[in-house]
Amino acid sequence: MLYPDTVESEVLVHKPWFVAVMFAAIFALFLAFDLTGTSMGELMRPVIGEPLESGLYGRFAIAFVIAVLFCLNIVLIGFASLRVQITIVWLELLLLFLAFFKTFNLSLPFMAEKLPFLITQGLFTTIYVSAISIVIASCIAILGAVAKLSTNGFAYAIASFYTSFFRGLPLLMQVYLIYLGLPQLGFIIDAVPAGILALSLCYGAYMTEIFRSGIQSIDRGQWEASRSIGFGFGITMRKIILPQALPVIIPPTGNQFISMLKDSSLVSVIGVWELMFLARTLGQKSFQHMEMLISAAMLYWGVSICLELIQSRIERHYARSKVR
Amino acid sequence: MSEKIIDVRNVSKWYGAFRVLTDVNLTVEKGERIVICGPSGSGKSTLIRCFNRLEAHQEGDIVVNGIPLHDKMRNVGEVRKNVGMVFQHFNLFPHMTVLMNCMVGPMWIKGVSQAEARKTALKFLERVRIPEQADKYPVQLSGGQQQRVAIARSLCMQPAVMLFDEPTSALDPEMVSEVLDTMTGLARDGMTMVCVTHEMAFARAVADRVIFMNAGQIVEQGKPDEFFGNPQHERTKLFLSQILKH
Amino acid sequence: MMKTSTLAALVASLSLSLAAVPAQAGAVLDRVLVAKTLKVATDANWAPQSFVNDKNEMDGFDIDVAKEIGKHLGVSVEFVTPGWDIITAGKWQGRWDMHVGSMTPTKARAEIFDFPAVYYYTPAAVAVHKDNKAEKLSDLEGKVVGVTATSTFEAYANQDLTLDAAGAPPFTYDFKAGEVKSYANSTTAFDDLRLGDGTRLDAVVSTLPSILDAEKAGYPIKQLGKPVFFEPLAVAVEHGDKELSEKIAEAVKAMQADGTLSKLSVKWYGVDYTVTQ
Repeated sequence: MLYPDTVESEVLVHKPWFVAVMFAAIFALFLAFDLTGTSMGELMRPVIGEPLESGLYGRFAIAFVIAVLFCLNIVLIGFASLRVQITIVWLELLLLFLAFFKTFNLSLPFMAEKLPFLITQGLFTTIYVSAISIVIASCIAILGAVAKLSTNGFAYAIASFYTSFFRGLPLLMQVYLIYLGLPQLGFIIDAVPAGILALSLCYGAYMTEIFRSGIQSIDRGQWEASRSIGFGFGITMRKIILPQALPVIIPPTGNQFISMLKDSSLVSVIGVWELMFLARTLGQKSFQHMEMLISAAMLYWGVSICLELIQSRIERHYARSKVR
Repeated sequence: MSEKIIDVRNVSKWYGAFRVLTDVNLTVEKGERIVICGPSGSGKSTLIRCFNRLEAHQEGDIVVNGIPLHDKMRNVGEVRKNVGMVFQHFNLFPHMTVLMNCMVGPMWIKGVSQAEARKTALKFLERVRIPEQADKYPVQLSGGQQQRVAIARSLCMQPAVMLFDEPTSALDPEMVSEVLDTMTGLARDGMTMVCVTHEMAFARAVADRVIFMNAGQIVEQGKPDEFFGNPQHERTKLFLSQILKH
Repeated sequence: MMKTSTLAALVASLSLSLAAVPAQAGAVLDRVLVAKTLKVATDANWAPQSFVNDKNEMDGFDIDVAKEIGKHLGVSVEFVTPGWDIITAGKWQGRWDMHVGSMTPTKARAEIFDFPAVYYYTPAAVAVHKDNKAEKLSDLEGKVVGVTATSTFEAYANQDLTLDAAGAPPFTYDFKAGEVKSYANSTTAFDDLRLGDGTRLDAVVSTLPSILDAEKAGYPIKQLGKPVFFEPLAVAVEHGDKELSEKIAEAVKAMQADGTLSKLSVKWYGVDYTVTQ
């Protein structure tokens, strides 16, 4: 949260002009869509009669009702405490999503039947591929960052070439290059190691830059203090600089972890049966792929939320030494 | 026969084409308390930062505690072990408690056991009169307290000489005296000290010798009485008149 | 997904420029017989030829044919499912030994692969949305047509198809597409077609079986006109192992002779596609 001002301002959603503007905007938006044929039209049947024949009056009535409900909603939420506000808005958005999915007429038994396999084969593969890649990428990133900050021309050249190359190519192309290209050099590499290698190298390049900027953000005085005590480069880096750089490094690294989780789906092109591959494959025969895509989407989201929670925990842990 | 702790001979240093130190000669004997003063940009900080090789000199020799300083890491490491340094901005490690700040040096450099490092750390925190803050983090302390922790941290390495690089310049006025008192106490106990500072009262009370630098050169040096009472050099007179005006 | 195939093509041509690793004669067969497993590359998204069934195992016509070939060789069969463009790029490097995935034995592909046996023919047909008013194929002149990338359907839609495999019946181009949209697989094309007549696509060229399957699954689409061409579909192996090719040819011939192949076709399609109609 931003550093709050002490001036107590009036709640925005309780200002008449704001409510009026919101009302007008929502009203206009829904007037633009013809919702008479949807369940909303059915709901309004007592007022507008046969929805499909209600015409402009029906559209008008529906848009009006939606706009009133919306404004009532935001005004009421405005009275609640911050925590309650957040909870209510989350739940409402979630409900909207569920309603959206419901329009697909999904077959829940099919989803339930396939879910175990999606998890044991797909999610498992996705997670272990990403987890291994993340570990390797982090190691590469530390080495790369140190090399990029070193005065050794050789190390700097290799590191900067590496980050430039792997940040500059699409990940999909790297997957292909490694899977199809490496065998030309005599390394015949299976699909899963090829995918892990591509992900590690690509994310290692991004994380090198994150680690480098994190290390550089540490005050020069810390290096001097560490040196003046007599610490060598290794201890200074491991015990003094990196621990202080971590709070700077962790938020963007958490981002990388989450996007790695999803980018691991790119290895499906070389035939790895991970979550995305199965999502596209399992429902194919019976043309129920929407079910599988949504199940997989939920699984991805769930794991991402777990990662977000872990990230905020770690951030809180490091905030410790900043508390006055 | 007195023992030379720091011996500086004909030292010159350049930043690119700019000459920051010109032909500096200086010896510091064991137990000696030296105050270096001079206008800003005169090279006084640079000079003492050369003593533990936070800066490299290009010409001349610096010998610290019998070890010649050059770009061999082994010598540099040996010297840094024996030279304590206190910075203007404290430079405590913010991710460690006060106690840990004092313990890590002996533990990781000298291989001292944790229990013993802790004992030493508490002893020196006692000496700078803040043992009760041992478990706090640096940000939780006032500037004066932080600087005293920084002094304790250096003392824990039991150095042969302490360097102070404008230790009170970043402090609020009411905290200056607590740090100076600590330094005076150290001086009483016979610690060899080289201080870059503008605290002339401290210099007068504690220093064995006051050195005035200008434009990278040692212009004048002498016992505090002579130095303040009867400065020889025009530049010194000007500096002293400006600094002692208030 | 156009990107995928261009990419693969680029990488493949890049690979070709480097030194090729020659396969030893009989080496693949030897490896298969020693390992007692035949590694078969195929598609996992190509029902009813090959797909993942309710038990989450590979199943379908191609799968059954591959298993029969394995049985003939006396080895067990293992399936891998790399992308189509990776399979057709060649340079398998021993990652798999054989491809049973309804590949049309075109001349261009024959430069990379041996086609020891044609095992069935697929009628290719045109599907349109239920609401489409077209009565004959020529009504699709200038329309937007969806196809699978780098497939014979794409070649047909671009009027660039050469069916140079033995036994391929002649065909004619009945319409010229205004725009050809390429998809990673036929289902995505059907998905775009189902959105409405002309919303994204006016027609899809695909196999008749997959069109009928989609229709059965409730897609609002229908077949238009007669099949546009019959595509011979063959087992593919890399050049260089005559013994393996002979063994596969022998296996398929045996299956044709004892009626196994026809039986499998009827099992999966309800029709015998192993002969041209």
